[in-house]
Amino acid sequence: MELVQKEHDRLTRKITAAQGLKTVQSTIDLLQSARNAIAADPSQAAITLAKLQNPVKSSFDSINDSLKETHSGLNKYSKSLDKLFKDRPLPSTEHDVLSSQEHFINRAIAMHLLREGQFSVATNFLNEMANKKAMKKQREAGLSAKDSAASLSDLDEVPSGEVKEQFTTMYGILDQLQDKNNLLPAIQWSRDNKEALEARGSNLEFELCRLQFVWLFHGGQHQQGPSPGGRQAALEYARREFHSFLPRYLREVQQLLGAMAFCPNLQDSPYKGIFHNPSAWSDVAHSFTREFCSLLGLSADSPLYVAATAGAIALPTLLKLQTIMKAKRTEWTTENELPVEIPLPPSYLFHSIFVCPVSKEQTTDENPPMMMPCGHVIAEESLKRLCKGSRFKCPYCPNESHPREARKVFL
Amino acid sequence: MAAELTSTRLNAENHLLLVITTSRSLPLSLACPRSLDTNLIASFQDQPLLRLPHELARRNFKSVQRLVEREKEYVLPALKETANASLSNNQTADQALAALDAMISRMQGLKRKMENLHQEEKKIQDQSRKRIQHLERLHQIPSLADVKYDNWARVRLDRLIVDHMLRSGYTESAQQLAHEKGIEDLVDLNVFVQCQRIAESLRCGETKDALQWCGENKAALKKSQYNLEFELRLQQYIEMVRTGHKEKFVGAMVHAKRYLAPYIDTQSMEIHRAAGLLAFPPDTKAEPYKSMYALERWAYLSDLFVRTHHELLSLSSRPLLHIALSAGLSALKTPSCHSAYTSSSSNSLSTTTSVCPICSTELNELARNMPYAHHTKSYVENDPIVLPNGRIYGQQRLLEMSKKVGCVEAGKVKDPTTGEVFNESDMKKVYIM
Repeated sequence: MELVQKEHDRLTRKITAAQGLKTVQSTIDLLQSARNAIAADPSQAAITLAKLQNPVKSSFDSINDSLKETHSGLNKYSKSLDKLFKDRPLPSTEHDVLSSQEHFINRAIAMHLLREGQFSVATNFLNEMANKKAMKKQREAGLSAKDSAASLSDLDEVPSGEVKEQFTTMYGILDQLQDKNNLLPAIQWSRDNKEALEARGSNLEFELCRLQFVWLFHGGQHQQGPSPGGRQAALEYARREFHSFLPRYLREVQQLLGAMAFCPNLQDSPYKGIFHNPSAWSDVAHSFTREFCSLLGLSADSPLYVAATAGAIALPTLLKLQTIMKAKRTEWTTENELPVEIPLPPSYLFHSIFVCPVSKEQTTDENPPMMMPCGHVIAEESLKRLCKGSRFKCPYCPNESHPREARKVFL
Repeated sequence: MAAELTSTRLNAENHLLLVITTSRSLPLSLACPRSLDTNLIASFQDQPLLRLPHELARRNFKSVQRLVEREKEYVLPALKETANASLSNNQTADQALAALDAMISRMQGLKRKMENLHQEEKKIQDQSRKRIQHLERLHQIPSLADVKYDNWARVRLDRLIVDHMLRSGYTESAQQLAHEKGIEDLVDLNVFVQCQRIAESLRCGETKDALQWCGENKAALKKSQYNLEFELRLQQYIEMVRTGHKEKFVGAMVHAKRYLAPYIDTQSMEIHRAAGLLAFPPDTKAEPYKSMYALERWAYLSDLFVRTHHELLSLSSRPLLHIALSAGLSALKTPSCHSAYTSSSSNSLSTTTSVCPICSTELNELARNMPYAHHTKSYVENDPIVLPNGRIYGQQRLLEMSKKVGCVEAGKVKDPTTGEVFNESDMKKVYIM
C-alpha cells in the first residue's frame, strides 16, 4: 500500500508540474516573438525563421520528454497496483444464488436506507424500482403475451409507508434525545409500549426516567451543575414519577435519592457513576434504538451492514478455501454448511450454538439436541446410534439411561 | 472459546478484496477518441477502486500524446518550409507572417486542448488519491473491534450499495445516496450511467448507441471474449430481413457482405444461418430461424453489451454487494435462524443482544437457501440450566431477567421465550460439552 501511495504521489507531482503545458506556452511565445520581429522588420524574415528552427524543434522534444516521464510514472504506478492486488481474484461466480433474488436485495437495501434515516433516498429508490417494474411490464406486454406474473415480485414486499413512518418516529425521538437533550418523547414512547417492553424484560423506561432525573438535578436546560433549584426539580420529578418503579427498582431509586445527601461533593461520592457518566446519553440512545427495532422485529444494527461486514471478514477464508479446493480437485461435500469455520468477532454471534460432542455436527430442527437424565446433551442422531434401542452409557459420565428418558431441549 | 472462532484480528491486505476486481493487468488498448474521454473522465466506479481511474488516466495520457504528435508533425515541417521559402526569397513577408500565425493558432489550440486534458488528469489523480487515502485508512486500523473499523465498513457498505444501484439501473438513487454520504469520489457514477443508457437503448431495439460504443473501443474489443459487434450487426441484418420487402433484402445482403463477412473465420455457422434466414418468414416455426427472429434477442444483446462493457473495464460481472452478502449471510447463519422453535426474536439472547441480522425480516428470506456457518465448538451462555419445557438459559441471566420483568413472584422464573412461569427449584443443571 505504501508503494502505491508513493508512486501515486510521484505521478501526481509530475502531473501538477505540467511541464508539457509550460513548454507549449514557451513555444507559442517563441513563435509570437518571431512573428513580431518579422512584422517589425520584414527584411530579417529569413534569418529569424532560420533561427527559429532549432528552438521549436527542441521544445517539441522537451514536450515529448515530459510526456515520457508521465508515461513512466503511470507505468510504475500500475506496476505497484499489480503488486498490491496480485493473487487476489474475487470469488468465482459459481454459487451465485443471490442474483435470482434481486428483489429481496433491493428490499433489504430499501429497509437499510429507511433505518439509516435516508428517507429521501429511500423514497427515490422505491420510485425508481416501481418505474422500472412498470416499464418492464409494459415491454413484456408489448413483446408477447407471456405470463409475467412470476417475475413481478410486487412492491408490497418492499417496506411500506408504515415502516417508514415508524422510522420517522424513531428518528424524531432520537433527534430530540441527542440534540436537544429532551427525553420526554422517548419516555412517552416507552410508556405507550410498556407491556411489550416489560415482556422483553427491558429497563428502557426506568433508564430514561433516571436520566431525566439526573438531567433535572444538573439544572435542566441550563446545566450549570447541581443547584438547589435543580435538586428541587429532580425531587419533585421523583415524587411524581418514581412510585410506579418502586416494586422493581427499589434499590436504584433508593440510590438516586440517597445521592441527594452528597449533593455538594457528588464527584467524590459513590454515586459519581450515576451522575457524572459521560456516555449516559449515547447509552440511552443506543438502548432506545435497540428496543425500538426489536419491537418491530428488526435487529438494532442494520442487518445489511452486519452481513456485508461479516462477508468482508469471511471472504479471505472462503477464497483460500476455493483455491485449495481447486488445487486438490475436491468438492464441497456438506451442502447446507460451509466447509470451514469463519472467525468472526464475538459481537457477530447472535445465537447459542450447539455442536454435538459425539458427531461434531451442529444440531438442527431435524436433528435436535437431546438431554440425557445425567444432564449431558448430545444430538438425537448420535443418541440413536449409541443406544441401538436399549439402555446405554452416557459417553461423558458413568450414568446409564434408556433412550426414552432423553429429552429434547432448545438452545 | 477457541481463539480463532472469534478473532478480531484485522488483516488489511486481505480485507481489500472488495475493492479490486481482477489482478489481471490490463493491456487495454488505449486508442480511443477524445469525445469518449471527456465522457468517461469525471466518473469512476466504486469497484476497481484504483484500477478504473488509472485506466482513465492512461487513456487521457494517450490523447495528450496523440495531440502533441499531430501538432509536431504539422508545425515542424511547416516551419521548415517557411524558412526555406523565405531563404530562397520565394515568399513575401506577409506570407511568412500568415504561416507563422497559422502555426501560432495551431499551437494555441494544442495548448487549450492540453489544458482541458490536464484538468481532467488532475481530477482523476485527485480521485485516485482520495481512494488511496480511503484504503490507507483501513491499514491504520488495528482491530475489527475498533470504532474506526466500524466507520470504514459503513463507508464501504455505502459504496457497495451505490454500486449495486448503478448496476441495476437505479441511477438517481445512486447519485443521491453518493451525494448525501459524500462518497462521490469513491464511486464511478458516469461510467455506469453511460453503460445503462446503452443497455437500455438495446432493450428498446436500438443498435446505434451500442455500435458507436463499439467503434470507440474497437481496439480493446478485439481482445474481448464476446462477439458484441458481430451480434449487433447480425441483429441489424435480421431487422432488415424481418421487414419482408424484397428491396430490403438487397440491402441486407450488402450489409452482410460488408459487416458480417469479415467474421467468416470465427462465426461461419452464424453467417450461414443468416443467409438461410432469407428463406424463412418472420413467423416461421423452424429453428434456429425462429429464435433468430425472436424479440428476446434484444434482451440478450443488452446483457451481452453489459458483460462486454464490464469485461473491458475489468469490472466484476456480479455486483460486489452480492459477493459480500453471500459470504456474510453464510458466515452469520446458524441452524437456529430458520428453525421453527428458536428463530427470530425468540432468540434466547434477545434481551441482552439485539435481534440476529439473519432473523431480522430484511435478510431472512434472502438467507433461506444459503449454507450455514461451520462451527466446531458449542457456544452457550455461562452456567446453563434447563427449564421443565426443555429450554436452556444461563441461570444468572434468567434470574435477573425474571426479577426485572416484575410480574413474577419471588421464587419463580419466567421463560422469556414462551412466557411460561416455573419454580426456581425446577431449574436443572445441564452440561454442554
